[in-house]
Amino acid sequence: MAYMSMSLHAVNHRLTNVPVKQLPHLASCLAASLSNCGELLSTPQSQKSTKSDSDNAVQIHKLVTRLGSLLQDRTYEGRWTAVVLVKALVEAGQWEILRGCEPFVRGLISILAKSDPVSTKKMCIITLTRIFHLTYQYPTLVREITTPSLPGFITSALNLISVKPSSEPLRKLKPSTPFVEVVLQAFSELIARHPTIFRPFTAQIHSVLQTIIGSTAPTFPEPILEITQQLFISLHNCAPKNSGGEEWKNACRMTITSIHATSSSVFRAAVEQWESVDPSVRQISHPQNYGEEVGNGPDALGLGSWRGLDAGVNRLVVLLRMLSGFLGTATSSTVVMPVGAILDLTARLNMLTVPSSGSDIQANPQIGRAERENMLTELPRIHVACMKLLLHLVKTLETGVVSVAQTILEQALWVFRAEKFSREVRAGVYDLISALLARVGPSMTKQSVSSLTSTLRTCCHDLLPPAGNQNAPAERSDPKNKTKSNQITANADSFFNPGLKQTRQTSTSSSFPYLTRAASELLVAILTHAPTEFVSPALRAEIDRTIIMTSDKNAMLASVLNPFPAMQGRGVGTSIMPFLARSYPAETEVESLIRPRMPVLMNGSALNGYTAMDEDEEEEEDDESAPAPSTAPEASGFLKPMATPSLHQDMMDVEVSPPANKRSYAEDVEMKAPAPSTVDSLAGAQSKKLRFEAEQAAASTLGAASPAAFTGTAAISVPTSSIAGPAPVQTTTTATVTSKPTLAGGKKTSALPSAEAAEDESDEELPTLNMDPDTDDEDDE
Amino acid sequence: MLSECFIASTLASGKVPASASLRDVGVCVHEFQPTLNLRSTFKKSSTAARCLAVSPSHVFAAQAEKAIVHVYSREKGNQEAIVPFPERIRSIAVAGGKNGDVLVLGTEGGRLILWETCTGRQVATTASHLRPVTALVVDPTSNFILSGSSDASIHVWSLVDLLSFTKAPSGRDRQPPNSPIRTFSNHRAGITSIAVGHSAGRYNIAVSAAEDNTAIAWDYHTGRLLRTFLLPSNAISIALDPADRAFYVGYQDGSIQSIDFYKSQSIQHPLHDPSLQSTPSQPPAEDRWLPPTADCGAAHALTLSYDGMTLLSGHQNGKVLSWNVGRKKYASTVADYTHPITNIMMLPPTGLPHPTLDLQRVAHTIVKPRYDHTLSESSQSIGTVPADYTFSTHLLPSISSTSNQFTEAFSHAYFPESMIEEGLAELAALDQPGSNGVQASSMSQAVTDEEAAAKDSQIFDLEAQLVTLKQKASINETARQSTTDEVTKLRSDLANLHDYITELHEKQEQAQREKIIRQARKEERETRRRDAWFAAEKKGKKGDAVLRKMDAEDTLMTSDTDDQSSDEQ
Repeated sequence: MAYMSMSLHAVNHRLTNVPVKQLPHLASCLAASLSNCGELLSTPQSQKSTKSDSDNAVQIHKLVTRLGSLLQDRTYEGRWTAVVLVKALVEAGQWEILRGCEPFVRGLISILAKSDPVSTKKMCIITLTRIFHLTYQYPTLVREITTPSLPGFITSALNLISVKPSSEPLRKLKPSTPFVEVVLQAFSELIARHPTIFRPFTAQIHSVLQTIIGSTAPTFPEPILEITQQLFISLHNCAPKNSGGEEWKNACRMTITSIHATSSSVFRAAVEQWESVDPSVRQISHPQNYGEEVGNGPDALGLGSWRGLDAGVNRLVVLLRMLSGFLGTATSSTVVMPVGAILDLTARLNMLTVPSSGSDIQANPQIGRAERENMLTELPRIHVACMKLLLHLVKTLETGVVSVAQTILEQALWVFRAEKFSREVRAGVYDLISALLARVGPSMTKQSVSSLTSTLRTCCHDLLPPAGNQNAPAERSDPKNKTKSNQITANADSFFNPGLKQTRQTSTSSSFPYLTRAASELLVAILTHAPTEFVSPALRAEIDRTIIMTSDKNAMLASVLNPFPAMQGRGVGTSIMPFLARSYPAETEVESLIRPRMPVLMNGSALNGYTAMDEDEEEEEDDESAPAPSTAPEASGFLKPMATPSLHQDMMDVEVSPPANKRSYAEDVEMKAPAPSTVDSLAGAQSKKLRFEAEQAAASTLGAASPAAFTGTAAISVPTSSIAGPAPVQTTTTATVTSKPTLAGGKKTSALPSAEAAEDESDEELPTLNMDPDTDDEDDE
Repeated sequence: MLSECFIASTLASGKVPASASLRDVGVCVHEFQPTLNLRSTFKKSSTAARCLAVSPSHVFAAQAEKAIVHVYSREKGNQEAIVPFPERIRSIAVAGGKNGDVLVLGTEGGRLILWETCTGRQVATTASHLRPVTALVVDPTSNFILSGSSDASIHVWSLVDLLSFTKAPSGRDRQPPNSPIRTFSNHRAGITSIAVGHSAGRYNIAVSAAEDNTAIAWDYHTGRLLRTFLLPSNAISIALDPADRAFYVGYQDGSIQSIDFYKSQSIQHPLHDPSLQSTPSQPPAEDRWLPPTADCGAAHALTLSYDGMTLLSGHQNGKVLSWNVGRKKYASTVADYTHPITNIMMLPPTGLPHPTLDLQRVAHTIVKPRYDHTLSESSQSIGTVPADYTFSTHLLPSISSTSNQFTEAFSHAYFPESMIEEGLAELAALDQPGSNGVQASSMSQAVTDEEAAAKDSQIFDLEAQLVTLKQKASINETARQSTTDEVTKLRSDLANLHDYITELHEKQEQAQREKIIRQARKEERETRRRDAWFAAEKKGKKGDAVLRKMDAEDTLMTSDTDDQSSDEQ
C-alpha cells in the first residue's frame, strides 16, 4: 500500500508539473504505475478510515480532477494523454472509479467530434467501449452512466464513419475513413448487451453494413469484412422482444436466397445438374439476358447490384463467408438453423466442378467460351468458401452433425476428386475431413474409409519431401486412383541433378504452412478415429512412412497408439515406436507410453487393496523386521505413501489371501478354503521360513546384503508371517495376528532409519522380480 | 464455486416422505460436496431403474409402466414437456457427447427409438431384441449404442448409421437397415446393467452384468470377451472407475462389491492378456461391502464421485448411501427420499475449468419428436437431407482466438505498446513545423469533413509551400546581400592596403634621397677640409689649426644637420 500511495503521489506530481506538451512521452509509464495501483484505487471509500487512507482519497480525487481537466485540454497532447490514463484508471479502479466516471465519458465523447488525430479517437472509442463493458455488471452504473451516454456515443461513432444526408434513417459510408474497423468492433462488442439502446439505430447501422458487404468492385479488407458480417448477424439482438430468433432466421434465409440468386448468374455458362430438394427454391427461375454481361440486381439482402464475373464471384464468396458467420456468431436466444437448406445450397455449389478426364460439364451454348473458362477458373475459390462453411457447420453442431456427416463427406469428396490440384481446396478438404472423422470416425465402415484412400494418399504426398517419388506411381496400384497417374511430369533437370528437385520441393512445402498443418492433422485424425483395420495395408505403410519422414510427434503417437491389427498368419504387427523413441526420447507422452507407470497410478494411500503386489512387499518387510528390524521408510512399495494402521486393519481380509500373481481367484480360493491344504501350504512356507532365516543370517554375517540373498524373501507371504506368531490355523485369527506385525512394521518404518535400511532400499526391487518363480515353487511344494 | 451434485430419481411407492419438501418429488438434484443439501427437485415422476437420463440442459425421465417420457428443464427447474411414444420405455440414455442432443430409448418391444431433441427427428430401429431393452449405454465417442435385453443378448448399434440421412456405402447389405452391427451373446440370462469404459479410443471396454451371476468385461469394438467374473450373487447395478481400473457392482441385498482388474502386475493390460481371458475369475463372496442395516434393500443404482473415491448407491428403502472406495466399506447415509431410488447419477462438478467440455451452444427447449413419414420412408430418394431439416439451438459466445488490435487493446491494462507508439508518432508529426505538421493537420481535417477535406488540405499544402518558398527566398536574398557587402569591404581593405604600401614606398625613397644628399654633403665637406688644409699648407700655415677651426665650425653645423636627418628618418 505504501508503495502504491507513493506511486500515486508521483503520478499526480508529474501530471501537474510536467508541461502538457511533454506528457505523451510519459503517458506509457504513468499508465503502468496507475495500473499497478489497482488495489488502492479500487478500495471502497468507506474503508478508508486512517489518516494515510484519507490522504490517498485526496490523491485519487486530485488525479480524477486532473484527468477531467486534461480531457478538456486545448492541446492534442493533453487530450491524448488523458485518454490513455483514463483507460488505465478505469481498468485498475473498477467499481470505485467507474461510479464517478460520468464526466470522463462526456469528455471522451466530445473528443470524438473534435479534430483530434486518428489515434486519439481510436483510443477514445476503445476506452468508451471498455467503460460501457465494465459497467454492464452493475445495474446502477448502467442506469447512471451507460443508458444516458450510449446513444450519444453511437451517434458520434456513426458520424465518424458515415454521413446522414437527410432526415431519412439511412447513412452513407464515408469513403476511406480509418475508423470503420474500430467503430464496428465497438458496436459488435456492445450490441448484444444493450440491444434496446441500439434499437433506434438499427436501420442506420444496417445501411452502413450493407454498403460494406455489398461493395464488390473494390472489396474491403478481410478484417473489416469479417467484423461487418459479425455485426450484421448480431443486429438480430436488437429485434423487439422474443423476435430475435425469427429475425436471425430471416436474415439467414435471405442470405441463402441471395447466394442462390448470385450463383444462378455466376454459373450461367454451364447447365447445372443440381435439383433442389426444396420446392420453393426449385420454382424460382431466372430469365436471364444472355446477351449482356453477367450481373445481378439488388438481391434479397438489399445489397447493391454487380456486373462482371469477377465481381459476382467476389460477392458469392463474401456471402458464403457470411453464412458461415451465421453458424459461428453468438445468438440472442434459441435460433432455428436451416441445416437442410444449407446442405442443399452447398450441394448445388459443390456439384459443379472443374471438368476432369472422368467428367465433363454441360456447357450452355448461349454463353461464350471465354466466360465459361473464366467461371471454371474461379470455381476452386467458391469451393474453398463452401468447405469453410461446412467446417463451420460441423464445428457448431458438434455431435449434432452425425445425421448429415455422410452427406457432407460426400460433397467434400466430389470437390476433392475434381479440384485437388488447388492447394486451398486440398487444405479445406483436409480440415473438413479431420473435423468429420472426430465425430463419426469410430463407426465408419470399410467402404467409407476406403473412399478416403485417394485423399489420404494426396495428403501424404503433400507432407513428404518427394525425393523418391519418381517410382511412386508404380507403387500406387489402387484402381481408384485413375486421376493420379499423370500428376507427376518428367522433369529433365531432376535426371541430371537429383538434389535439385528435393531442395525445391522442401522449400515449396514449407511455404504453405496451412496446407502442411491441415495434412498432418488429417493423418492424426484418420489414425486416431477411424478403425485401423479398414485402412488398407499399403496405405497404412505409406502413412507410416510419411509420419516417419516428417517426424511429426502427434502423428507418430497416433500411429503407435493405433497399431495396424495383426493379421492372421502375418506374424507380429509392426509399430513405428522405435522411431518415436528415437525422435522424442524426452517427451512426457513417449515416456508414459514406453515405460507405463500403471501400478503407481493405483495411488496406494486410499486404494490399498488395489495392488496385491504392494501388500506382499509389505508383508515381506514385516518378516524381515522380525529377525532384523530394518525397513527403509521409502521401501514400502512403489512410491507408496505411508499406510495408516487403521487402513491396514480394514484390509486384513484381503491380505490374508495369498498373492494372486499369475493365478486366478478361483485357485486362490481353492488353496485357502480347505483347512488341510492351508496347513500344507503353511508347512511349506514354514520350511521356507527356516531357509530364509538361514539366508538372512548368512547375509548379516556377510555384512552387506547382496541382491541374491534376498531372492528367497519374496516367497514369504502372508501365511508365513502369521506362523511366526502363535500359529493358529484359522484364517480369521491369522488376520488379527498379522495386523500386529503390520502395525509394528508401520511404526518401525518411521522409527528405524538405520544403516541397514539403506542396503534394503537398494535391494528392494529384486524380490519383486523374482516373485513368480518363487510362488511356483511354493505351489510345487 | 466448486461443487459436485448428484441426481437421483425414485419409483413412486405407497410410503409418504417425512419431509414436506420431498412430497410428490420424483427426481432430486442433491449437492454432494462441499455441503450435503437438496438443491432442486422435479415433481410428478416415477421411474424404474435405468430410466433417467440427464443432458446439460434437460432431465429425461421415462415413466414406469407408461409409454411417456417426462422432460424437465434444468435451467427453469420445471416440467417442460410430456412426450408420448408408441411403446413403453424400459431404458433411456443420452447420446451426443457434452451437448446430449440425442435421446436413445429402449422399448418394451425390443427396439430402439432415437430422438434428436434439437431437430425433432425420430428414428426407430428394427426390433432386434426379443424381449424388453433393459440396459442402454452410449459410448464416450457417441458413435455406438450398447443395448442389453432380458433375452440375454447385447446389441451394439452404430449411432451414426442409424441417424445418417445418407447411408454410408455399406457392406452390410444383407442386413436390413437400422439393425445392430454386432451382437454379444456370452450371457446366459437377462442383462441387468451395462457400463462402458471412459476411453475414446478403440480399446475401450464394456462391462455387463446379467442375472446368471456373471459380469463380463468385453471389447465392444470387436465383440471379444476379455474376462468373465463369477459373482457371488446377482448384480443389478454397475459403476466403472473413472480410470477403468475397477468396477463396482450392487446386489439385491444392498451390498456392494468392488472388482479390481489389476490384481497382478504384468506388462500387459490384464484385460487384454489372452491367458486370463478364458478363465473366469471369481471374487469371493465375503469381499462384499455390507450395508449398515439389512433393510436397505437392493442397490438399484451406483455412481462414482468425480475423483472416483466415493461410491454412491441408491437403495430400495429410499436411502442414498456413500461408500469409501479406499476403505472398501460403508461411509455414511447421504440422503433419504423414502421412495425406492432407481437411478442415481453424479453430475460433472461445476466450477472446474473444462476447456473441452465448455458448451458452445445450449438447447433451452427441446423439439418434440414428430414422426415424419418422409423421413422414415425408404421410398424417398436416399441420401438427401430434407430442406426443412432444421436444428434449434442457442449459440453461446465463444472466446474467439482471433486477436486483432481492438481485442488486444480492449483487454489490455491501458493500451498496448504498439498503439501508444503509433499515437506518439502521430503527435510528433503534428508537432513538427513545416510540411509534416501541415500534413498531419490536413489529416485531421479530412476526418471532420470529407469532401472539402481533400481540397482544403491541398490548399493548406500549397499555402504552406508558398510560405516556405518565400522564407527561402528572403533567406537567399539576405545571404546574397551579406556576401556582396563582404566583398566590397574586402575590396576597400585591399585599396587601403595598396595606399599604405605606396606611402611606405614614398617614405623609403625619400629616406634614400636624404641619405644620398647627406653623403654628398659629407663628401663636399671632406673635400672642403682637404682643400682648406692644402691651402693652409700652401700658405705655410699650420694646416691643422685651420682644420681644428673648421671642425669647430662643422660640429655646430653637423649637429644641426644630424638632428635634422635623424628627425627625417
